[in-house]
Amino acid sequence: MKEIEVLIIGGGPAGLSAASAAANLGASVLVLERDELPGGQLVKQTHKFFGSKKQYAGDRGFQIGNLLIEQCKTSAKVEVWTNTTALGIYEDGVVTAESQDEHVKIKPKKIIVATGASEKMIVFPNNDLPGIYGAGAVQTLMNVHGIVPGQRVLMIGAGNIGLIVSYQLMQAGVEIAAIIEAAPAIGGYLVHASKIRRAGVPILTSHTITEAYGQESVEGAVICKLDENWQPIQGTEQDLKVDVICLAVGLSPLTELCFQADCRMKYVPELSGHVPIRDEYLETTRPGLYVAGDVSGVEEASSAMVEGRLAGISAAYSLGYGLEAAPKLQEEALAELNELRSGPAGHKTMKGIMKLMDKGEVVC
Amino acid sequence: MLNKTGIPTAEDVKKVSPSPDRLKKGPVAIIECFQEIPCNPCTEACKQGAIQPMEDINNLPKLDFEICNGCGVCLSRCPGLAIFIVDGSYSDREAVVRIPYEYLPVPKVGDKVTGLNRSGEELGVFEIIKVQSGGQKNKTYTLWLVVPQDLAMDVRSIRLGGLRHAI
Amino acid sequence: MQSKETIVCRCEDITLDEIKTLIEQGYRTIDEIKRVIRAGMGPCQGRTCRMLIAQELAKYYKVPVGEVLMPTFRPTVKPVKLGTFARGE
Repeated sequence: MKEIEVLIIGGGPAGLSAASAAANLGASVLVLERDELPGGQLVKQTHKFFGSKKQYAGDRGFQIGNLLIEQCKTSAKVEVWTNTTALGIYEDGVVTAESQDEHVKIKPKKIIVATGASEKMIVFPNNDLPGIYGAGAVQTLMNVHGIVPGQRVLMIGAGNIGLIVSYQLMQAGVEIAAIIEAAPAIGGYLVHASKIRRAGVPILTSHTITEAYGQESVEGAVICKLDENWQPIQGTEQDLKVDVICLAVGLSPLTELCFQADCRMKYVPELSGHVPIRDEYLETTRPGLYVAGDVSGVEEASSAMVEGRLAGISAAYSLGYGLEAAPKLQEEALAELNELRSGPAGHKTMKGIMKLMDKGEVVC
Repeated sequence: MLNKTGIPTAEDVKKVSPSPDRLKKGPVAIIECFQEIPCNPCTEACKQGAIQPMEDINNLPKLDFEICNGCGVCLSRCPGLAIFIVDGSYSDREAVVRIPYEYLPVPKVGDKVTGLNRSGEELGVFEIIKVQSGGQKNKTYTLWLVVPQDLAMDVRSIRLGGLRHAI
Repeated sequence: MQSKETIVCRCEDITLDEIKTLIEQGYRTIDEIKRVIRAGMGPCQGRTCRMLIAQELAKYYKVPVGEVLMPTFRPTVKPVKLGTFARGE
């Protein structure tokens, strides 16, 4: 059994940030990464990030990923196990994992769950035809493996993921027939929307897909307009000839391990699903188990990195490291999070966190 | 409505437009950033002190048109690709519009391209007179387009060229 | 809408119609539905279908989705080959 001070589950923006933060204070850290390379979703992000210098704004996502990986590599205190999936968290604090096809046990003093999120699906007739992808899958296909998914795409969802993946598809020479969004307004950043729109791609709000069709794979989709009660308006159907339908309809926090570990959970729509109740410093109701990034509520990668740092500092501090430096670093991270969330764009997250911290929780 | 279509309205654009006199004087940045999001690289990119530091990172950028010399550093740094440079002093009848560009193939100097407005509608065929690379790290190109004076505040994109995948 | 060909659980190939029929027959939780029809027991372990089934239950019983009882989560979070256990600790 491997013993370690801080175990971090997930090597994405939150996990890697947590690792270097905890290691910088002196803690020994082990990061478990399911994929063959760490970096999480950052490795596929070719657009420039928002935020401020503190969150590497202006750099492209994959560049930030490389930077975080480098920080962990150069730290003698950080070990990263790739091709390793955490399988369970047990009552006695033992974490099991599948590592390079072997079952391993780890006994950590503190755990930071930074598992991220998974893509949501929606139901419509023929939603299992080949050619229907999650937006994240399309990104992996294109930006990791260099393969375009098709010729002409219908993008469903005008949140940041839908807009960004549409832009990346266009950069790869793929045509976007339209971006449709069921909500009455574009959910993603409007600068992303404008740059796609001025290249000639229609963005249709209050629209949904009613069915996909095709013999062997997607040959087209029928979309229609929605009224103010989100009900389809008869006679507004449009037939779009596309060979790819891309779903960017939101993410769900990957909280199975938190459920298993008996963290008290709460369903908060503003945070995109069930999330563990945690304190300001990201410690859940299971002592010694912290969360950071999308698993604690779906948000931008900039906030995930700051949350990671905060959880890393807090975990190391609770082990007795950085007794002088840690409180100040925690305050800095909290101030950064507050700054990122304080504007209109962060309103939803703020509301969600308030609901989460509220005492009248429903226990699932 | 911008938040329904992605197309900034005339009123939106008016808010960030310099006076016709200022446009005539020489290159100036047009920051088409209309939504408060946590983002401030433009303020740090501007070495002229024309884009004022933000009190709150969610603030909209504030540009002093009189201080701005249209150098274009902010254009290539803006993560939202929302900054353009317009030079109304190019000639009596023509202006130069600089746009950020991240597609392939990158047009060459002398190429004639189809200019598009904020809705993606064609406005005519215009010549590229300069192409600036954003460099190894930044990668955002800046295209210099010569357009008629009266389209200087409308041309914001070009029809994407050549690259299509074989079936 | 012909919900026949609308898939809810991709791993186990279960349609929206099948889920709706079970709910109408009186199955009240995600766990019950899982035991009867295996929804959520495939490679993704319910990551895709769990909340879709929760939505259907919420609609039928007219309760908010957040009040639908979540299934029990047990190790392992993904299917693991027996050989993996045999090789490891």
